[in-house]
Amino acid sequence: MVLKVIQIHTLNDRPRDFQQLFTIWSQVNDYFEDVRFDFSRCGFLRPNAVVFLGGLARLIESRLGSVVFDWSTLHNQRVLTNICQNGFAGTFGHPSSAWDGNSIPYREDKTLDMNVIMDYLVYNWIGKGWVHVSDRLRDAIAGRMWEIYNNAFEHSGTQIGVFSCGQHFWRQNDLILSVVDFGRGIPANVRTFLRQYAEVKLVSKLTGASCLRWAFQAGNTTKVGEPGGSGLDLLKEFIHINQGKLEVYSNEGYAIIDKDGERYENREISFEGTVMHITLRCDENLYRFRDEVEPPF
Amino acid sequence: MKLSIKDKIGPRCIIKEDGQKIYDEIHGFLKNGETVTLDFNGVSQFASPFFNFAIGQLLKDIVEADLRRLLQIENLNETGKLVVERVIENAAKYHGDKDYRKIVNDILEQQANESD
Repeated sequence: MVLKVIQIHTLNDRPRDFQQLFTIWSQVNDYFEDVRFDFSRCGFLRPNAVVFLGGLARLIESRLGSVVFDWSTLHNQRVLTNICQNGFAGTFGHPSSAWDGNSIPYREDKTLDMNVIMDYLVYNWIGKGWVHVSDRLRDAIAGRMWEIYNNAFEHSGTQIGVFSCGQHFWRQNDLILSVVDFGRGIPANVRTFLRQYAEVKLVSKLTGASCLRWAFQAGNTTKVGEPGGSGLDLLKEFIHINQGKLEVYSNEGYAIIDKDGERYENREISFEGTVMHITLRCDENLYRFRDEVEPPF
Repeated sequence: MKLSIKDKIGPRCIIKEDGQKIYDEIHGFLKNGETVTLDFNGVSQFASPFFNFAIGQLLKDIVEADLRRLLQIENLNETGKLVVERVIENAAKYHGDKDYRKIVNDILEQQANESD
């Protein structure tokens, strides 16, 4: 098998950066792929890129391929320090161990382990002091983020687990959480579900954007025989109230929920899976319960 | 009947398996028209899968008005209350009949309007 060398360029979290990630996915989306990631042109990697590449490596391995992260090509010291600190580089062959600091660890969850994931959210993500919130509010935020993990495990059918990573950006004072699965994707799930009740020909005309819009409406669920449809709705509400931003890329669909409302679009490049990318503003004034009049610290 | 949630499952009301345990404990009492009190003292973290199974599922064979009359909830914080209310609201929709053919047609109509 021919070794594919994939150039990893600077990857931020704008739509065109996600398109680059999905293009990389399409280049290696087969069995028996042998891949080497080259970082010589990489000047920055946001957590969405870290987590996507990590998950993609596991996907390739699960399809009997091989992946080498060629760390010798990564010359940007800032990027290297960051991905060594959050444990990503060490997970993929770099001779370094993660250390506790300002980073938020890279995670691979094979199963939905409540205590492990909630501890990560409570102590390593929201509770690490980026934003001063009461314990009660910290717990409330972590509960909302849990809905993302729950959805990924319950609905995607992922065979290789769920991948996540976060980061706090001091200058913008933003807190990021990016969660990726390489499962079926939300639009594919919605279509499969609706095909049971409506004409196949009609359901296949539903666009990715329409399917995402349906999935984000309160009370809609693709689970049969059990109530649901509250998780994404609660998450959406939290994002609105706290003026954050939630972006979802799933198959060819794209959703953005932010202070301006919610928008659903179709993208040219599709991928099999779902990325949930959350940006929270670390402004303490945005994070209060109604009865928390005084600053909670 | 009164049940301490913390004693039964711990301080995290998150996963559906724990919700199912609570449902199994209380469903029979509620079905017989008996009052049940769930005490959330010491529980601090909540998510919808737990409440979907513990409470949302009850609406399969208990009408909402009866459930609200028979099920007493104590010491549940603001976050938990919000999740419970949302779950009850959505479970009631879920257990009602949905015309998915009409839903698909409505979505296609909306798509057509958007592309105009």
